[in-house]
Amino acid sequence: MINNSINKIIPFLKNSPSASSQILVRYQSAAAAAPPKQKKTTFGGLKDEDRIFTNLYGRHDWKLKGAMSRGDWYKTKEILLKGSDWIINEVKASGLRGRGGAGFPSGLKWSFMNKPSDGRPKYLVINADEGEPGTCKDREIMRHDPHKLVEGCLIAGRAMGARAAYIYIRGEFYNESSNMQAAINEAYKAGLIGKNACGTGYDFDVYMHRGAGAYICGEETALIESLEGKQGKPRLKPPFPADIGLFGCPTTVTNVETVAVAPTICRRGGSWFASFGRERNSGTKLFNISGHVNNPCTVEEEMSIPLKELIERHAGGVIGGWDNLLAIIPGGSSVPLIPKKTCEEVLMDFDSLVQAQTGLGTAAIIVMNKQTDVVKAIARLSLFYKHESCGQCTPCREGTVWLTKMMDRFVEGKARIDEIDMIWELSKQIEGHTICALGDAAAWPVQGLIRHFRPELERRIKEFHATHKGHVLDKLAKYAN
Amino acid sequence: MSLLVRNFSKLNPLGSIRSYSEVVNVFGRRSVDTQAADEKKTIATIPENTESVKEVSGHPEVHLTGRLAKIYVPPKNSMQSGTFGTRRWRIDFDNRDRWENPLMGWGSSGDPLSSLQPEFGSKEDAIVYCQRMGFRYVVEEEREIKRRIKSYGANYSWNKRTRVSTK
Amino acid sequence: MNKLIINSSKKLLSSSLNKNILKSQTALLSNVVPDNRIEVFVDDKPVLVQPGVTVLQACAEAGVEIPRFCYHERLAIAGNCRMCLVEIERTPKPVASCAMPVMKGMKIKTDSPVTRKAREGVMEFMLVNHPLDCPVCDQGGECDLQDQAMAFGSDRSRFTDNLFSGKRATEDKNLGPLVKTSMNRCIHCTRCVRFASEVAGVDDLGTTGRGNDMQIGTYVEKLLASEVSGNVIDLCPVGALTSKPYAFTARPWELRKISSIDVLDALGSNIVVQHRAGDVMRILPRLNEDINEEWLDDKARFSYDGLRRQRLVTPMVRGHDGLLKPCEWDDAFYAIADKLSRASGSQIAALAGGLADAESLVALKDLMNRLGSENVFVEESFPGQASGTDLRSNYVANSGITNLEQADLVLLVGTNPRYEAPLYNTRIRKSLVHNELKVALIGSQVNLSYEYDYLGDSAQILEDLLNGKHEYSKFLAKAKKPLIVLGSAALQRKDGDALLNLATRLSEKLRTQNGCPNDWRVFNVLHRWASQVAALDIGYRSGIEQIKAQKPKILYLLGADEDLVSRVDGDDTFIIYQGHHGDRGAEIADVVLPGAAYTEKSATYVNTEGRAQQASFVVAPPGKAKEDWQILRALSDVLGNPLPYDDLDALRKRMGEVSPTLTSYDKIESASFLPLSVSLSQKVKPALSKEPIRAWQTELGDFYMTNPISRASLTMARCVQSFKKTNEPVKQTQANANP
Repeated sequence: MINNSINKIIPFLKNSPSASSQILVRYQSAAAAAPPKQKKTTFGGLKDEDRIFTNLYGRHDWKLKGAMSRGDWYKTKEILLKGSDWIINEVKASGLRGRGGAGFPSGLKWSFMNKPSDGRPKYLVINADEGEPGTCKDREIMRHDPHKLVEGCLIAGRAMGARAAYIYIRGEFYNESSNMQAAINEAYKAGLIGKNACGTGYDFDVYMHRGAGAYICGEETALIESLEGKQGKPRLKPPFPADIGLFGCPTTVTNVETVAVAPTICRRGGSWFASFGRERNSGTKLFNISGHVNNPCTVEEEMSIPLKELIERHAGGVIGGWDNLLAIIPGGSSVPLIPKKTCEEVLMDFDSLVQAQTGLGTAAIIVMNKQTDVVKAIARLSLFYKHESCGQCTPCREGTVWLTKMMDRFVEGKARIDEIDMIWELSKQIEGHTICALGDAAAWPVQGLIRHFRPELERRIKEFHATHKGHVLDKLAKYAN
Repeated sequence: MSLLVRNFSKLNPLGSIRSYSEVVNVFGRRSVDTQAADEKKTIATIPENTESVKEVSGHPEVHLTGRLAKIYVPPKNSMQSGTFGTRRWRIDFDNRDRWENPLMGWGSSGDPLSSLQPEFGSKEDAIVYCQRMGFRYVVEEEREIKRRIKSYGANYSWNKRTRVSTK
Repeated sequence: MNKLIINSSKKLLSSSLNKNILKSQTALLSNVVPDNRIEVFVDDKPVLVQPGVTVLQACAEAGVEIPRFCYHERLAIAGNCRMCLVEIERTPKPVASCAMPVMKGMKIKTDSPVTRKAREGVMEFMLVNHPLDCPVCDQGGECDLQDQAMAFGSDRSRFTDNLFSGKRATEDKNLGPLVKTSMNRCIHCTRCVRFASEVAGVDDLGTTGRGNDMQIGTYVEKLLASEVSGNVIDLCPVGALTSKPYAFTARPWELRKISSIDVLDALGSNIVVQHRAGDVMRILPRLNEDINEEWLDDKARFSYDGLRRQRLVTPMVRGHDGLLKPCEWDDAFYAIADKLSRASGSQIAALAGGLADAESLVALKDLMNRLGSENVFVEESFPGQASGTDLRSNYVANSGITNLEQADLVLLVGTNPRYEAPLYNTRIRKSLVHNELKVALIGSQVNLSYEYDYLGDSAQILEDLLNGKHEYSKFLAKAKKPLIVLGSAALQRKDGDALLNLATRLSEKLRTQNGCPNDWRVFNVLHRWASQVAALDIGYRSGIEQIKAQKPKILYLLGADEDLVSRVDGDDTFIIYQGHHGDRGAEIADVVLPGAAYTEKSATYVNTEGRAQQASFVVAPPGKAKEDWQILRALSDVLGNPLPYDDLDALRKRMGEVSPTLTSYDKIESASFLPLSVSLSQKVKPALSKEPIRAWQTELGDFYMTNPISRASLTMARCVQSFKKTNEPVKQTQANANP
């Protein structure tokens, strides 16, 4: 059974559907195909009437009444009654790709769940364990627009025939989880979910589960383990969660944003959503801009908006002007950084960023201007991944520590030039050899640093050696060959 | 009749011939992971006849007569994962008395066969060896390897006891 | 000549290839129809495998061994060491072969540059925090990490950070007196964790902390309270878990390894006894799928130090002052001959203990018969009414050990297999976990390390089950392959006859009424002593009562140490004790003849399923001690009535005459006399006792010291001590709760 379903899911593992997790960025695997011909050429400047998240900044009532006044829960019953095929087709037509980082086509992913039942219930799991440094989009949704998520759960759940949705929310998100829970309670009370949800005869429950503070629990299988009450350690794939997931039952894990946009897509039509952004990268997206900008913010924009325009228009520009820009991490801490030159022309979508040897990730843009110690910044990221490694598999458990130790030395320049090549090789030894994508996520920032800032590393090393004659490092010369 | 002899002592007239088919220099980063283990090369041949070779073996008579050889396929060492040692037929001789050398405390024995563990490609070869050396022998038949189908998914099964509880 | 060489080498090649093909075929055919096998390619070599097997298993079928640390054939798949990564064509990254199921047409590359690079990388990471203390590590020489680093690792180290920050340091854990830990060496494969929770059934071990701070341990320091805890030492691929008693005593390459069998319980687990210069240094399990698989219980594994303590090294005769005095063999024999010459046959009796081998049992019985005595008894009694010991199917585990894996319901009566036969219990557990076996128990409500249906401790329940009055009868009636396991401890009761009677009748009823397969045997006796089945085969009977009643003039104890006969003041019974330990039997003896323990003789034992196996001569018996059958043979000479065998071969021939089962080694003679036995037992209607059925051993502390060898073992004593220490507070609170 397992074999067959895998064959059905993906022809021979070419592309893994392990899409949803926060930390999963698989920019390489999507890199192969050339971008299709584009109909549109300019992007950005999303009009207010096209915004999905109309209470992103919490200026209005987040409760049921306010949400309904903004159009949530409007004709949800009719959408549900159109059936799962209709919903999935609509999502497929919208070209929505998972917003958690890996960008796996959502319609396709949801359709994996529509296998004939073997007696097991199906579950929808919402990954609200938003832990990626720089990312703060799901938080805004859950804090200010929780009903979008609750309604999304119902619609996505209906599309896959799920019995219940579990929202696994990051433990630190206290206010978010209390708003979420309040929204769920309201929805239950109003008969929107629960038994006979929205009067459709379909039973659907939504549960909240608060995490306990582990980044790794944002990985979909670790999240499932954690939900089951075990240590949050990722499982190997196959079997994919669509086969054996939560409590051993078919499960789909999706990001908050992906699910929250589904009701609007269904209401306004897939083609409406597809009209934004480039082909294969359609839709609107929440971008988080942080770091050295005048006005850090979270903003909903059209996909494929040029990075420079996004920063200038919404974040008030880089501190000290565009020319003071050093580098940008465009998709949350786990993707490689890109230098200023690349930032000027890159578009904020999956394909363009892959071409720039980085990834869209969670679209959390971390801007670093020339006052940044870029080596130290990346060393700090290495420390983060070391701290968050679950310790289950060898390359990540041992490799992240090694990377951290070396990066710490690189900050001071306490290393040898050839160790730069060595750390590159080490990061390659971690990447793709681990159970989950945390190994990859730990490797990529380092790789990005070396790719674009090797001269800076070499400069520090030379400086250190010039001031520390007879250092213990000289001993290492004998290992050089 | 061919014969593969792996000899731990210097008693083997075959001298320094390595019996393993292909042991590549590990420093050349060639793995020795058993790739060619099945294609055993014959390293020595002896004419196919029944003539006794006991007399030319050089062993003291007292240690040859009445010896019981057990012909068997060694089971996997329970301390290790490797199964390389389980692919040949081996001969173990009945154990004879050993003592501690009073000078150095080393284990001593008067039995030249105690250090000999010949290995063969087949049971028949081992039998011929025993016959020509004049050993009594017993053959312990090879045990069937039982492999159960294992599935990683069973760790997370929803209704089976194979579900893993601790990590 | 040339031609000959070619021929023979071809022959060799084909025969070895055939062997492999045969191997894989037998392995596959045993379960499934070959039709649904799928073809995969291992290094371009086509192999047919069952669907659902892992890539690693498929490679094994092809004769290619994939390096691994966390994967173990008998444990669940973890997939965390990443050593087994292989390249599979058309996948973007290397795949963990231990967890990946095969798919049709898969092209697996086990020696490609990608695969090699992946292995080398993983190996480098393993070694980053692994201390370079191989010279002082007990695993050195039989270490998977050493071997695989040699074969698959890089030839030099790039890890320079120990100049700046050093390697990881982890506190060692105290897991009790058997397992020594050196946690710096741990590579976090979690084999031990999985063993403890899956096989041993104790969820004591686990991981704490995350990332590089992850540790294996019990969280709160405590004894690893399992009767099979020693297996984690074997499983540990590095030197993180090693044997405490064996610590720093020997190196694997200086040990001589002799295959033998264990006799400390009635399973006859296969072992390898490793010795150096006349000392047994350690005992390890030897793989035997039919008996112990790859496991060994702690008593069998660690009580070897008892072989060196409290040994009888010289013959002794009790002097006028009432003290045993060392003497020569001749003196001892003449003292015996003197007494025997003044006794008639009926005044002589022999009592054999639980560790006696079949050779000496036969020799003793022959000797007694020559002296005109039929009074040969075993310590462990077995009901003799009705057909009793006459029919073999009454007193062996007819279905064998492996059939536990086929069974769908096991009814345990009056036994606690967890401590009486730990590996029998792990088999039950295995079947329970993997085959949804149902287990029910009549007797003491003990912790069997798995869930079972407790029916009660009254003997009456058995009768109710037979009559269909009990509510559990409906489950029994539904079972297609039921097993009834009757513990021999229960047969020591006064109503042992009745229990045996009921159990056999119930078994026969289930077999005939449930539609079991023709060759399915339901009735099993789980013995406690290694000698028992052979003794019953040879014709020994239970007769403690008879000895006590008759007060024979001369009593010959062959390793009888269970304190069942005692010397009363003024009792003029002349007691001869032959055995290897100065235990309870030697204490009351007038003449002591020092014999050999199971590692010191080539001897036959028949296990509880009726399988004859040979223990091997590993080291010589200490001092003047001799092999047991030789002592009896020599004594017969002195008595002027020499036994007709001068060497082991002749003796074994005689054994074959007594009972062919004794010399058909490693075979189970299928006995199917149960219907006959049942029909015979119909005539006897023994009464059931009201006394509740109690287990022989109820907690782990009882398990360690049960026979002369383990009673002499310091290691076992330490185990008991630490078990008591661990459980003290619990007992106190209980005592406080119920004053």
